Amino acid sequence: MAYRWVEHTSELELEIEAASESAIFLEALNAFAELVAEEPSADSEQRDVEVRGDDRETLLVAWLDELVFLAESQGFVPERTTELEVGAGLVRATLRGHVGEPRDFVKAVTLHRLLFAANGDGWQARVVLDV
Amino acid sequence: MSEPHAIDETLWEVPADARPDMRVPARVFADAELFEAIARDGSLDQLQNVATLPGIVGAALAMPDAHQGYGFPVGGVAAMELPDGVVSPGGVGYDINCGVRLLALPCSEAELGGRRESLVHELSRAIPAGAGKRHGRARREHELDAVLREGPRAIGASADDVERTESGGCLPGADPAAVSERARERGAGQLGTMGSGNHFVELQRLVRIFDEETAEGYGLAHDQVTVLIHSGSRGLGHQVCSDYVQRMDAAMRRYGIELPDRQLACAPASSPEGGAYLAAMAAAANFAWANRQAIADEARSAIAAVLGQAAAKGTRQVYDVAHNVAKVERYDGRELLVHRKGATRAFPAGSDEIPAAYRKLGQPVFIPGSMGTSSFVLAGEPGSLERSFGSTCHGAGRTLSRTGARKQIHGADLRRQLGAEGIVVRSPSNKGLAEEAPFAYKQVERVVEVVERAGLARRVAQLVPLGVVKG
Repeated sequence: MAYRWVEHTSELELEIEAASESAIFLEALNAFAELVAEEPSADSEQRDVEVRGDDRETLLVAWLDELVFLAESQGFVPERTTELEVGAGLVRATLRGHVGEPRDFVKAVTLHRLLFAANGDGWQARVVLDV
Repeated sequence: MSEPHAIDETLWEVPADARPDMRVPARVFADAELFEAIARDGSLDQLQNVATLPGIVGAALAMPDAHQGYGFPVGGVAAMELPDGVVSPGGVGYDINCGVRLLALPCSEAELGGRRESLVHELSRAIPAGAGKRHGRARREHELDAVLREGPRAIGASADDVERTESGGCLPGADPAAVSERARERGAGQLGTMGSGNHFVELQRLVRIFDEETAEGYGLAHDQVTVLIHSGSRGLGHQVCSDYVQRMDAAMRRYGIELPDRQLACAPASSPEGGAYLAAMAAAANFAWANRQAIADEARSAIAAVLGQAAAKGTRQVYDVAHNVAKVERYDGRELLVHRKGATRAFPAGSDEIPAAYRKLGQPVFIPGSMGTSSFVLAGEPGSLERSFGSTCHGAGRTLSRTGARKQIHGADLRRQLGAEGIVVRSPSNKGLAEEAPFAYKQVERVVEVVERAGLARRVAQLVPLGVVKG
């Protein structure tokens, strides 16, 4: 299970490989947390989120969109999930983190080169973030 | 011949038959070296994707500063036939009406003298940047509605500032109701804030004049001090684009549209989805103009604090231009929807769209270089109407990724280097600073020379940085 950043001239391309569909969402959270976190802090805040999408790809975009929104509008810096449920067209999660001054880094989650597909025994995903 | 080839010394073409799905050719304004860079980083493929959009006319165009984006390349221009050609939110971009505004101070660098550092410091105090995003002017709901409808006028912009803003700072048809609650929530409190990434406020000195008459007409003189503001519609605009890319992605099948890249999601401009996006985009564009107005107000406060009230009152707005927007314009009697994604409108002398004071000179265009390098003031030329749907370049254009830039230099070292060159730098983030290192960009001189040789715009003046406040 891993994520990595792929070279892109002006934006950030995120590639994820994981054993399960839900682990893809977990890794996307970890990648986002790496971008917005400035300093480690106690995970004193909780957010319950629910996002929907017509297919796996748009569900991943909606998940990351929610993280962008929470960071920008509430200063919420996510650190981990205590619950994560991935169903058909739906992700429900409880996020733990803190409210601080997240790096104002991700403007948006694009559909460019978007991918979420089975890969051998596991899954792979790709998403380009506008920064 | 379906291979890319040169049409003349500044224009390259990939013919429409290069791919079965292209409706028009893809054309790039560039010299040989810039074209090679554009072809190498994937932006040429992206431009060919743009050439597949329903209703596109003429050619999908890229400016010499073009580089890889998502959907459209950054530096892309596409004109769609109205009423049924498409509008593509990704063809405007997430930072709707990201743009630049130039202020001219009533003093020379010699007169500014030792107060330079104080002024840069005061600008950085007055203008919230980077993570300080929520410290901007708080707006009540009805005030935000007025900003979305009217732009800078809603926050008390002077008639002179409004006159010297593209479209008077207000696109017609803006509808606050087309902007989602989520977008409003992201934009709340962000008016008058710079944001992060490549946004900046730069204190500059005019070092060279190429066209005396036009420089004088724009109110610019040798050694004059200027302030260049680069920002956009902040989280509000980002969310408007996200909302409508997703809405159009879901609606495309209904209109029988198939695309090589989902990020190009679009709908006919005449459709309910197209109309709603254009109304929301206009509102976000008006918000961006009001944002740059609020930043200009903050800059004038900083000028008053350091140089006195008379200097602040004498600080004039030269002009304000949009880089990311779709506008209805007429070419050869046809009404077209011109998408500019990282490109600047550059109307020539005689256009009714230009302020009366500049109408004999051509529209002012500002091309920021990379941090620490020159910026240029240009004037629109007739060739822009003939060859590029009234458009020219918008900057130097990235050539190295952000991570690539960070691998080559540490932000603290870059800060020292710029300091050694006499450029005062204020930035909350060393990481962000390193990502904007000058070597991550093409040479702005080369980009500007190409658009001049191509007849899109002519050089008027060159500005060099005295200090920069980064987001």
